[in-house]
Amino acid sequence: MLTVSVKWQKKVFEGIEIDPTLPPYVFKAQLYDLTGVPPERQKIMVKGGLLKDDADWSAIGVKDGQKLMMMGTADEIVKAPEKAIVFAEDLPEEEQATHLGYSAGLVNLGNTCYMNSTVQCLKSVPELKSALSNYALTGRSADVDQTSHMLTVATRELFGDLDRSVNAVSPTQFWMILRKKFPQFSQLQNGMHMQQDAEECWTQLLYTLSQSLKAPTSSEDSDAVKALFGVNLRSRVHCQESGEESSETESVYSLKCHISHEVNHLHEGLKHGLKGELEKTSPALGRTALYLKESLIDSLPRYLTVQFVRFFWKRETNQKAKILRKVDYPLELDIFDLCSEELRKKLEAPRQKLRDEEGKKLGLQPKSTSKDSDVKMTDAEASSKESGESSTVTQPEGGSSEKGTLHMTGIYDLVSVLTHKGRSADSGHYVAWVKQESGKWIQYDDSHPSLQREEDITKLSGGGDWHMAYIIMYKARFVSM
Amino acid sequence: MAPGPDPNSVGDGAKRDEATIKVPSKDPKKKDDKKEEDLSEEDLQLKQNLELYVERVQDPNPELQKAALESMSFESLGYRLTGSEGDIGSWGHEYVRNLAGEIAEEYTVRQGEEASIEDLMDLVQQIVAFHMKHNAETEAVDLLMDVEDLDLLLEHVDRTNFRRTCNYLTSAAKYLPGPDDMLVLDIAYMIYIKFEEYPNALQIALFLDNMQYVKQVFTSCTDLLRKKQFCYMISRHGITFELDPEMVENDVDREMLQDIVNNTKLSEGYLTLARDIEVMEAKTPEDIYKAHLLDGRASSGPSADSARQNLAATFVNAFVNAGFGQDKLMTVPSDSTSGSAGNWLFKNKEHGKTSAAASLGMILLWDVDAGLTHLDKYFHSNDNPIIAGALLGVGIVNCGIKNDCDPALALLGEYIDKEDSSVRIGAIMGLGIAYAGSQNDQIRSSLSPILNDAKAPLDVIAFAALSLGMIYVGSCNEEVAQSIIFALMDRSEAELGEALTRFLPLGLGLLYLGKQQESVEATAEVSKTFNEKIRKYCDMTLLSCAYAGTGNVLKVQDLLAQCGEHLEKGDIHQGPAVLGLAMVAMSEELGLDMAIRSLERVLQYGEQNVRRAVPLALGLLCISNPKVTVMDTLSRLSHDTDSEVAMSAIVSLGLIGAGTNNARIAGMLRNLSSYYYKDASLLFCVRIAQGLVHMGKGLLTLSPFHSERLLLSPTALAGIVTLLHACLDMKSIILGKYHYVLYFLVLAMQPRMMLTVDENLKPISVPVRVGQAVDVVGQAGRPKTITGFQTHSTPVLLAAGERAELATDKYIPLSPILEGFIILKENPDYREE
Repeated sequence: MLTVSVKWQKKVFEGIEIDPTLPPYVFKAQLYDLTGVPPERQKIMVKGGLLKDDADWSAIGVKDGQKLMMMGTADEIVKAPEKAIVFAEDLPEEEQATHLGYSAGLVNLGNTCYMNSTVQCLKSVPELKSALSNYALTGRSADVDQTSHMLTVATRELFGDLDRSVNAVSPTQFWMILRKKFPQFSQLQNGMHMQQDAEECWTQLLYTLSQSLKAPTSSEDSDAVKALFGVNLRSRVHCQESGEESSETESVYSLKCHISHEVNHLHEGLKHGLKGELEKTSPALGRTALYLKESLIDSLPRYLTVQFVRFFWKRETNQKAKILRKVDYPLELDIFDLCSEELRKKLEAPRQKLRDEEGKKLGLQPKSTSKDSDVKMTDAEASSKESGESSTVTQPEGGSSEKGTLHMTGIYDLVSVLTHKGRSADSGHYVAWVKQESGKWIQYDDSHPSLQREEDITKLSGGGDWHMAYIIMYKARFVSM
Repeated sequence: MAPGPDPNSVGDGAKRDEATIKVPSKDPKKKDDKKEEDLSEEDLQLKQNLELYVERVQDPNPELQKAALESMSFESLGYRLTGSEGDIGSWGHEYVRNLAGEIAEEYTVRQGEEASIEDLMDLVQQIVAFHMKHNAETEAVDLLMDVEDLDLLLEHVDRTNFRRTCNYLTSAAKYLPGPDDMLVLDIAYMIYIKFEEYPNALQIALFLDNMQYVKQVFTSCTDLLRKKQFCYMISRHGITFELDPEMVENDVDREMLQDIVNNTKLSEGYLTLARDIEVMEAKTPEDIYKAHLLDGRASSGPSADSARQNLAATFVNAFVNAGFGQDKLMTVPSDSTSGSAGNWLFKNKEHGKTSAAASLGMILLWDVDAGLTHLDKYFHSNDNPIIAGALLGVGIVNCGIKNDCDPALALLGEYIDKEDSSVRIGAIMGLGIAYAGSQNDQIRSSLSPILNDAKAPLDVIAFAALSLGMIYVGSCNEEVAQSIIFALMDRSEAELGEALTRFLPLGLGLLYLGKQQESVEATAEVSKTFNEKIRKYCDMTLLSCAYAGTGNVLKVQDLLAQCGEHLEKGDIHQGPAVLGLAMVAMSEELGLDMAIRSLERVLQYGEQNVRRAVPLALGLLCISNPKVTVMDTLSRLSHDTDSEVAMSAIVSLGLIGAGTNNARIAGMLRNLSSYYYKDASLLFCVRIAQGLVHMGKGLLTLSPFHSERLLLSPTALAGIVTLLHACLDMKSIILGKYHYVLYFLVLAMQPRMMLTVDENLKPISVPVRVGQAVDVVGQAGRPKTITGFQTHSTPVLLAAGERAELATDKYIPLSPILEGFIILKENPDYREE
């Protein structure tokens, strides 16, 4: 009879007796009683070897009083999870793209950064993408010419390619069709395609899309592009000499931010841009007279585009010169005071709601406005009917679960910036800076997307030779009521 | 200086050397001019005489010339020998010093003529006696070294000067060519033994790797408590040492002491330190990445699990929580159904699961009992990579720990010859780590056959060679060497081109680690017959391993010459040459600084494969010692256009900052993580480096040097060098499926602590001063040994270049080298004030 001690985990079991005539399995059974570890999972270490169930004690040479060590647990054996884990590396390329959190860049085909940056900015509008994907179903209507149709299809394809790809996409097809539709982009210089004005590209492309995306079946209201980008302006044209006054409305796709020496901020520039002088024949005076035109916004778009009028034709040098003046723009734009009286009234209630919600977020007590909330509710309803297109088109899928509809607030958030770097519109470099759904800002410098900090986005306001904002796009903030 | 075959590079270097020499040579002249003015009359006379002689030497008359020459040389020696035999000191210090100089010269002359030196030695006796009495130990040692009779020193040292003498001897040894250095250390050892300064004697015995001396320390000392301290010192050095009854008589005592040597108390001590510093709380990889400081960038990662990123997280988690026994990925208690530990394991892909399972070994490092308990369940998995990981984990958890039951061998032994290669590698590598330096014959007999098994896959053979190299590190074992040599000869042309083949010559080299020329010569001869694809690689590896830590200047030059060559073909031997440069030069500060400078230059003119190795060499030179200049160089290289240079630089940033929590490196790496967020490979390297910097939450070091930078732990160096060799082909090994070679670093991981224990080996807290170590070699009196110190209470962390001293007289430390575990004895003379 031998006596040994067995160390198991941190415990030591002293004085365990071994009968050398019985196989070690018996010993293991003894240990099972002590530790609860089933014999088949016991590993008993004796001088650099494991104790086998059928070993001969004498051959092992265990001495009286020897210390043995046992390893083993009654723990559950690890099993692979039933649902195998899918690793990003194993995903097909297109799915990897979505995991990056942003889409691919565009290859520069030779001075095509104006086009690349325009495409990247417009691509950031999901509604435009969905409108384009619906276009496939409707097909070409009779009143859209062949090249417009082709350009629309090419845009759709390009957007799709960008979403699917991890690596930079080469927009060869799109570029060819763009040049076909707008031959002015085919200008050559020294055998190379010239740099073009991104604003022209933007405007022309958007115009083409608006033409072809007009649903042929229904009324004008279903002009998808107009619904997204169109701003209705109501202008008062006033002649100081004769005192004549007339009013006119127009729809534009972008607001202009005029830059003069007193403009330091986008807001000032916009105000400036909504006021103008024009000369026209006055019926009262019977000659041309100077009229003042003052415009106010009558309806708000879902996406507000602002163009900084940075380029002007300089006769002396015979080229588009650039105004380098620094004009700040905010990440959050409130255009309430550029709106017409009626629109302001409609906006009041949603704005109050928005303020309350924000107040709540900050932990403030919402002011009890039980009395006038009724009034405003009716107002709001009215407004939702009147500005119909914006609130109905805009309701996202998730919105239906919320009670009430979404309303414009006149407050906009910056979503994309198209910048220019250089001294003239036909030279230099264009880059797009686009906010992703994740909230991250990505700079699309042709084929190189890179992450940017939000505070750096507002630094693109000019005043030097750094990239400066040329076209910026804001997205409306809604409040559900 | 051995002229290199390439005239361009070497010529360039030589020119610069000349330039640097010229500059200082001007200064002494100026000083001389000034001195002339303040000469005393006596000296002036002497000087005029001298000038006369110089004039006469140029005289056309040969007889006059001869006379002049003779009277110029050894004037005072001549008079002394022919003249009086009175007290040598009566003429003053300057006279004795002068005499000593002349004796040294005369000695070489007579050696050349094989003339008798008896009269000289008489004088030497007197001079040495004089110097030793007058606080001029350094001069006495210098003279004795010149006349090659250091034994004389033993007669003249006494209690007052033996420390300074030995201090000078040990530091001088670093600059002496072999075998003089060993001789000098021998004398130092004898002096220490003579004055019963056993810890220092033991230190030197370990340095000499002389087990006979180690034994003598034990047999000479009678105090059991002091012997315990010796055991702590041996355990830190990481060698396998068996106590016998001659050293410690009592069986119970011996067992207890052997436990200390076997490092069984290491985990406990480390956790004591961790609790005291309050860093027990487990950290997640995210705590290390600190992505929130990167303002939005890469903060919310991709939604799907990236196998590579998860693997990186596995390593970071393992390194950061190393030895703490708890983490938030692997050891968390599994919930009822799936078990979250299992979850993380399965978030790693294929071979990634090996590293994940093995990471448990790292987390439970040194705690064998708990480690085996945690790893047990993975042994029963039916997934080969997991089993492989469990095996490797067993090896890691046993790293540096010896146990009578040999659990690692018992568990791993069975798996060596399994079918699946990954399982085999797990077991083989585990054995290599657990038994590094043990020279265990049982393992050799089971691993050697693999090397010469024609059917074994290359990777299994490579790891077997490596593990054998580790187990027999620095042993010069002939049989192992033979097996590896045969394995190398058996490799086909194609196999020799494989990345893993480099482990064969490396395994061979490790056998001779630090053993210098004589031992490695035979093997080096054999390596000349190898296939040319591997021949030079093998040469370089053998050379650099054999001279690792010796600071041999000639070898540094040889290796530098290799780096300077501009090769056309895809030769790979320059990588190990660059690493070798660092291995040889890393031992002492001056050589280290020179090597850093040389590497900067190699970076300028070297070929791409040389440039790739330079960051790694810098990483080795400054391991766990973040020198700002090196940090800046590596930071620059981490943005290199060559991605492999960048990768090595990033990993090296981790190495130099390993276990320091260095905020500057952490910041650099954080920025790199956003800079490289799209490049999975580089990002992986950044993550690994981040894990290294926060290794053991800042309580660990990777430095193979300890005991005031005197001793070099061979197993630690072997671990680091292996990783560096693997990093020479990062893409195929670490970024491929052999990432677990990163775990070789465990061999070098040690707590960078000073923990004081009382006579019952229970931790006690005492005040200590910790400051920058000051070099006091050759300084008279009792100079301060640290500067800019702060007072803490033990246990304390010691950074590179720091030294501690007790700030209380209440206790007496049993070792003058206050590192690791220090036993304190109550001071009987202490009086409470």
